[in-house]
Amino acid sequence: MTDRSESDRLQQENWFQRTVRRPEIGAFIVMMIIIVALAMASGGKAFNALGLKNNVAIIAQLGIIATGAALLMIAGEFDLSIGPMIAFAGMSIAIMLKWGLPFGLGEATPFLAFLITLVMTLAFGWLIGTIVVKSGLSSFIVTLAFWFFLRGLTEVCFRLINQNTNVSGLPDFKKESWFAEQMGGEVFGWFFDAWYWVGNKIAAGIEFTSDMTKSEKIDLINYLSFLNINRKMEQWVTGFDARLLWFIIIAGAAWYVLARTQLGSWIYATGDNKESARANGVPVNRVKVGLFMFSAFCATIFASCQVFDTNSSDAAKGMFKELEAIAIAVVGGILMTGGFGTIVGVVFGAITFGLVANAVFFIPWIDGAWFRVFVGTVLLAAVFANERIRKRITGGI
Amino acid sequence: MAAKSYMRVENVVKKFGPFTALDDVDLDIAPGEVHALLGDNGAGKSTLIKILSGVHQPTSGSIYVDGKKVFFRNPRDAAAAGIGTVYQDLAINQLMSVTRNFFMGRELTSTFGILRMDEMDKIAHEEMKKIGIDFTDPSQAVGTMSGGQRQTLAIARAIYFGAKVLILDEPTSALGQKQQMEVLKTIKRVRARGDIAIIFITHNEIHSKLIADRYTFLALGKVIGAGTKKELAGEDIRRLMAGGAEMADLEQELGAI
Repeated sequence: MTDRSESDRLQQENWFQRTVRRPEIGAFIVMMIIIVALAMASGGKAFNALGLKNNVAIIAQLGIIATGAALLMIAGEFDLSIGPMIAFAGMSIAIMLKWGLPFGLGEATPFLAFLITLVMTLAFGWLIGTIVVKSGLSSFIVTLAFWFFLRGLTEVCFRLINQNTNVSGLPDFKKESWFAEQMGGEVFGWFFDAWYWVGNKIAAGIEFTSDMTKSEKIDLINYLSFLNINRKMEQWVTGFDARLLWFIIIAGAAWYVLARTQLGSWIYATGDNKESARANGVPVNRVKVGLFMFSAFCATIFASCQVFDTNSSDAAKGMFKELEAIAIAVVGGILMTGGFGTIVGVVFGAITFGLVANAVFFIPWIDGAWFRVFVGTVLLAAVFANERIRKRITGGI
Repeated sequence: MAAKSYMRVENVVKKFGPFTALDDVDLDIAPGEVHALLGDNGAGKSTLIKILSGVHQPTSGSIYVDGKKVFFRNPRDAAAAGIGTVYQDLAINQLMSVTRNFFMGRELTSTFGILRMDEMDKIAHEEMKKIGIDFTDPSQAVGTMSGGQRQTLAIARAIYFGAKVLILDEPTSALGQKQQMEVLKTIKRVRARGDIAIIFITHNEIHSKLIADRYTFLALGKVIGAGTKKELAGEDIRRLMAGGAEMADLEQELGAI
């Protein structure tokens, strides 16, 4: 007999090897390629002051729902009702703001409108989750049913109450309501203040003169945009959209829960093999129902940010968002079969998708529909990559 | 054997409708002993261990643990009484780490459900080392472990969480030769602790001969033979394994075809 044991067969890896083998590495590489490609193709415009703000806005928006979708997928379930849930929540908030609270309970404050809406969406999340765990049906079919149900319900409510499938021209609640400001306003103003402060130092002495040609003026405006200065030589952008803060809170909390808490262990166990999780005392059904509710919560935050940002809502909001959320999760390294994946990967995925979705604004010659071609391609590649990872882990020795 | 029995099964009968799965079964389990439960497919082994681990309830008869009569309404009751069952599928999640599997559903937490990961890593490592695996990385996914190691993980887990009676459901059946021997070694180490009773369910006559102290043979729901290693001669075991049929009869039957 030798001293060799089974565990010797698992090669010890150094820091670099471990990093390269991390499941998020694929998402990270794709993200870096997109960042560089977008910066070059747009002549840097995608990352000037306004470009950054706009890109971060859509990244945060997609990231919020992708986090909800990702946790649910780790637990082994899908939610196709995210998009319609966004439309429903947006409708509910906007209609309450315009027509007041239900049952003639008076004017709705932004916070009350949000809170009542959240109670409803969480109830829907609970209902979806309960149907899935009690019936044992695939969540794909149950949430598909709710996709139609909620889309229809949203439109019906719009027409019944508002005689129209949209609400627009709401007063700007951000001015008077602290809550509305946290949803649709701006955050991290200091970042752009600092940018402007530095930019001002660099641009000292530069000014527009009457003898400049038109192209010289355009060049100068372009240059100043990287210093967060507008053509009147004032500060250009004042802050990120508030949804960035929500994205950070939601993704941060989800990361912490998955990596560090008992609930996180239960989520992984549920998605990996729910029978063995149950045999070990993991409350599988409660975990799943809770995550369907969390997904509904994320959709509601998405909708609320949108309503208070634009002071409007319509029945077509959130179109395709459920599919984008799932695609981001998959590109971020979440296995379709559940039980594996991290929030870090999802954040990379959200950044990649947000940048590509917005690329058309910075690269004028590109057709916006290329976004979907890209999504399709990357999604397929990601599924193959994920499958390889799964086989590597479950292949055994 | 002189050892005091820890668990005793008396006249257990289990009927599923008109079908009698177990008929008047007795079993005596003592700490520090490996009790091999043998029998062909359909002999009632699975039903018996499901009764012992609280999944099924006996139609009649009684179970005593530590001298007290008990009734297990569910697996939780059985676990609380110190019955740890390691099923064939092991109730292990492949994509999760060794530590997360070890503590699955019973994680050590501080306030707000935050995992005490370092402590859990340490315990998982120590408990598995005690019965034979010194694995290097507690964050290693179980999918990368061999079948024998997984078996050891499941056994170590059951012991750590208070099993006094360890029920092993065909622990060697789906493994290669070398891994089978590792599992047998693990079982021996558990036996050597002296405080744990092991019920070893198997098809394999050789394995049972290697480690069992006491045997119970089931056939068609009845105990057709029981006793210590000494009481049963080698030839006897083979006959009982085959459900009481004589080897010579079998040969004759085969020869007739």
